[in-house]
Parts: sequence; C-alpha cells; structure tokens
Amino acid sequence: MRMHLPRGRGLNMYHNSSQKKFWTYDKEETLDKLRLEANQKFCSKALSSGKPGINESTLLNEQEEKVLFKHYEKRLLDFCAVFKPVMPKSVVGTACMYFRRFYLNNSLMEYHPRTIMLTCAYLSCKVDEFNVSSTQFVGNLQESPAGQERAVDQILEYELLLIQQLNFHLVVHNPYRPLEGFLIDLKTRYPLLENPEMLRKSAEDFLNRATMTDAGLLFSPSQIALTAVLNSAARAGLKMDVYLNECMGLKEDKETLSKMYESMRRMTSLVKAYELPKAEEVSICKQKLERIYAEFATNLKRKHGYEDDDHVVKRQMVADEEWTDDDLDAL
Amino acid sequence: MDDQGCPRCKTTKYRNPSLKLMVNVCGHTLCESCVDMLFVRGSGNCVQCDTPLRKSNFRVQLFEDPAIGKEVEIRKKVLKIYNKREFDFSSLTEYNDYLEQVEDIVFNLANNMDVEMTKQKMEQYQRDNKDVIQRNKAKLTREQEELEELLLQEQQDSELRRLETLQEEQRQLQAKRKNKQALLDELENSKLPAAVLLAQHKDRAAHLETQIEKQKQNVKPTNIFSTGIMMGQTVSLASVSRVEEVLYCYQPLYIDTYGPPVPELDQLGRKGFLNHVRAASLQDQAGGYTSGLACHRAIQDAFSGLFSL
Repeated sequence: MRMHLPRGRGLNMYHNSSQKKFWTYDKEETLDKLRLEANQKFCSKALSSGKPGINESTLLNEQEEKVLFKHYEKRLLDFCAVFKPVMPKSVVGTACMYFRRFYLNNSLMEYHPRTIMLTCAYLSCKVDEFNVSSTQFVGNLQESPAGQERAVDQILEYELLLIQQLNFHLVVHNPYRPLEGFLIDLKTRYPLLENPEMLRKSAEDFLNRATMTDAGLLFSPSQIALTAVLNSAARAGLKMDVYLNECMGLKEDKETLSKMYESMRRMTSLVKAYELPKAEEVSICKQKLERIYAEFATNLKRKHGYEDDDHVVKRQMVADEEWTDDDLDAL
Repeated sequence: MDDQGCPRCKTTKYRNPSLKLMVNVCGHTLCESCVDMLFVRGSGNCVQCDTPLRKSNFRVQLFEDPAIGKEVEIRKKVLKIYNKREFDFSSLTEYNDYLEQVEDIVFNLANNMDVEMTKQKMEQYQRDNKDVIQRNKAKLTREQEELEELLLQEQQDSELRRLETLQEEQRQLQAKRKNKQALLDELENSKLPAAVLLAQHKDRAAHLETQIEKQKQNVKPTNIFSTGIMMGQTVSLASVSRVEEVLYCYQPLYIDTYGPPVPELDQLGRKGFLNHVRAASLQDQAGGYTSGLACHRAIQDAFSGLFSL
C-alpha cells in the first residue's frame, strides 16, 4: 500500500484521517453532551415501552453510566494485558478507542458493555493485523468450551453492529508510534538531552493512562505523545522549551506555542483526574444494569438478533442467561 | 454447450435442426409444434409457470437465454411510455437519473420484483406525462418517416445506377460485335490482303477498348454519399455541438499536515536520523523494507496534527 503513495507525503497519516475529521472533538463538554443524549434517548425509549419494572429510578443516569463505563474499560484493558499471544500496544489502544467511540453515541443500557468490549478487542485484532483466530481469541476467556463457543457467537453477532456504530471508520491512530518518532527526533536533533531513552518508561506510562481518558477523542495522537514526553521530562526535572522553540520551529509562532501549552495542560489534568471507580459504586450500578437487561431481555434480543430467525433469537437468550459477568471475573 | 430444447416435448436442436423455439412474455420456452398444439384456441396457460398467455404473443426465440427475449419484449413496452430524450431534461444528471429509473423498471418487470408496484408507477407516470409521451411519439414517428424516405431514395438511386451500368455494358458488347462483323464483311468483300485487314481490325479493337476504358474513368462526379446524404451539406440528424474543454493543468499535491515539516525520506540518513533506529536486516531488505521507511513513518506520525486545534 505504502509503495503506491508519493514518497514522503504520508497520505495515510493522521492529518487526513477519519479520526481527525469525525472523531476529534473540540472540548469535553461536547463529549458529555453526546453521552447525555445517548442516555436520555434510551431512557425515554425505555419509559415509553411501558414495562412494569421500569421507571426513572431503575434506569442508570449518565453519571452511573460513566462509572460502569470506566469499570468495563478497565476490564477490557486487563483482558488485553493478559491476552496470549501478547497483544501489541496499538491493538489495545485501538480496542479501547472503539469502546469509547461506541458508547459516545450509545447507552450502556442498550448494548451490554461485556459483549461490546470483547467485540471491540476482537475487531481491533483484525483491523490492526494482529492475526488471532476466533477460537484462539475466546480461548483467553476462562470458560468451558461451550461457553467459549457462545462468546464467539455473541462477538460475531455484535461485530457488524459495532462496525456500523463506528461509522466504518476503523483506522485508529494511536500515540505509540508518534512517541517513537519523538524519541528518534530527540536523539537526532536535540543533543542537549543526554539520554532520551530514560524518558521512555514514564512517557509510556502516561500514554497508557491517557488511553483511559477522553484524550484520544480530544487531541491528536502526536499531541498526546508530545505531552507524554514533556511530562516525563518534567518529572525528571528537565526543561524542554528549547526543543519546542528550535526543533519544532515554534520560536516565531507564539500563538501556536501557547495553544500547544494550553492543550497539554488540559490533557495533563485530564489524565491526572482519572481515578478508578469505587467497587461498591460499581456493584450497585451493575445490579441496576442487570435488572434493566432482565426486564428488556426479550425485546432487546429481538432487535439485534436476526429478526426472522427464531432459533437464533432463542439460543441467544439462553446464552445470555448462562454467560454472566462472573465468568469474566475469573480472569 | 447445453443443447437447447423444448421443455415439453424434449426435442432438442440436435435431434431436430429445424426446431423453432418460441418464447412468450413470461420468458419460458416452447417449440413451435407444442405452441400450435397447446394454443389451438388462441390462448392458454404457460406449462411452466401457469401464466395466462396468448398465442399471438409468441415470438421466435432469438437468444439462447429465453429470459433475454422476455426482457427485450418488456423493454420495448416500457420504452413506448418512457420515451423522453436527452433534450427533454435540463441537465445530464437528470437524464441519467431518468435512464436509471427506466432500467429499474425493466429489471423489476423482467425479474418479477414488485411487479404490481412497478406497474402502478408506470401507469402513474403515463398519466402524469401524457402530453410529453404523445409529443415524443409523434416526433419519433416523424423521424422514422424521414429515415424511411431516405432509405427509399437510396434504394431508387442504386437501382438507377445498376440500370445505367447494365445499359453501358450492353452498348459496349454491341460495339464489339459490330466490330467483329465489320471484320468479317471486309474479309469477304475487300481486295486487300487478309493480314492487313486483321491488323486494321486489331487497331480498331484497341481503339474501342481505350474508349471504353476512358468512359469508365469518366464516371460522373457524384454529389451524394453512399448513405444518401448530400455532399457538403451538414446533417440535421447529428447536430454536433463543440464543447470547449480547458486543458488539464497539473497542480502539485499539497497536504497540510498541521505540524512541523518532516525531513524527506532520502535525507534521513544524511541528517543522522537513521543512527537511532534498528538497522534493517538482510531478510528485511529482501522485501523492499529499509530502516528509513519505519523511521520516516514514526517521525511523520509524530509531527502530523501536532499544531491542530
């Protein structure tokens, strides 16, 4: 593919990607608004369905959804971390980004995060050319062979929905390669820094933590990587202003420079503000979520199943009952 | 190749080379004798799909696949109604949409999809566009007449030419015969030696030949093409409008990377970037990989979109 492109142009880079065009937002409020909309859309649908067990208090509000989202996101990362064969970082980043993008426009109450997170991981393996067969993939679940087969069925059932909800924008640009690029550039053009490799550890750490925030939906991967480098340098007590001024050519362009500092500051606070949800909160929300799914079990299944295919629908219901969160907890 | 045959009496083209296959609106085949037998009363049902058919609607199957015959029939019918032409539309896009719509209808009817709906749509269209259809029909017939007239004239002209050449040939034949007769007469009556007479005759014959040759070359200059179109006259049927096109001018591709400039791929080694990446092994290089590619990509990724927002 790359051979057909004009040399040194980089047509398949971030700057003309779908990520920049459709999945990079200007501020956090926009993201919150989208999530609130998704939540409200489902709530009004649920309330109008007239189910006896559904009222305002049984549904999750948007804060509770956030708690559960964080919980399942962590689970997704944990699942990827122990995955055999070892998953490359970019695959993990892509999976996480899919998960994030999916629940930007969908409610957790509509599509169960347990299924979606596995589907995201599975899809990202495919997209990022990390070749794992479906059997091998579910082999990573601590499950009986029958349970694994059910998991495959579910993943395959939701895969197309996921792709559609991602608007078929499957290429995700992760900040890992930009980090490598910066390290190479630092080694080459910034001799002031004696040992750039020492920045790597904490920079990578920063990137991993940034994955669990909205940074990927707000900033370009190169900005995230640069912030990681500068943060790591600051931690080591190093000043990097000269690098920005000289090597990035920002000496003359004070406006861009201040904007850069501003977005780096925002990103850093975003990453610092992240904390894992509390276990008791999670368990309360989870109970609520399961109750909602139990209530909607029949008609929700109807919706995603192959509508006319009775036996598929039935089998899915059975599968859902048997395959619960606790199976995953065994991880 | 599958041998074509009648599905009812199982006769094939191989066994009966004069077998005539017929096809009706439903697209199913029957041979001529079966048609004669089954449709004695002028109408009946298709053996294969039970569609009520009329005997008069049977056509000789021209194509190997009977479905094509059916489609041709349908297309003829549809185009009778959908007879708008390009200049009835303000833009090419509209015309193309219209053509596509026609294709959709033909496809639907030929493949039995939404037949009722499509028929309704056609009727609706026919009602809505009655005037246009009538007008275009009249126009079409007028054009048809013009064409036929042209053809007729051409036929007459060629007939005339044929007669002329025939007459010419006869005249020449007569002249030759006269010449021969003259020789015989002279041999009979003249006192001159035969050799002289023969030489004279030969002379005359040669003279005659050259005259004929000359006449042949002397064909009247025509002012009509073989197609019957007058020379030096622009043809009304094909009005060629010249479209002025601006010549394509190459613009070098410019891509905004929203970031600092990236060093060119071939400069990486000189500027020392390659000292900091893993050198490509011999095996890597066999596939065309160089360490510069990975290095370049990493730096491109690092700089791309750095200044956006």
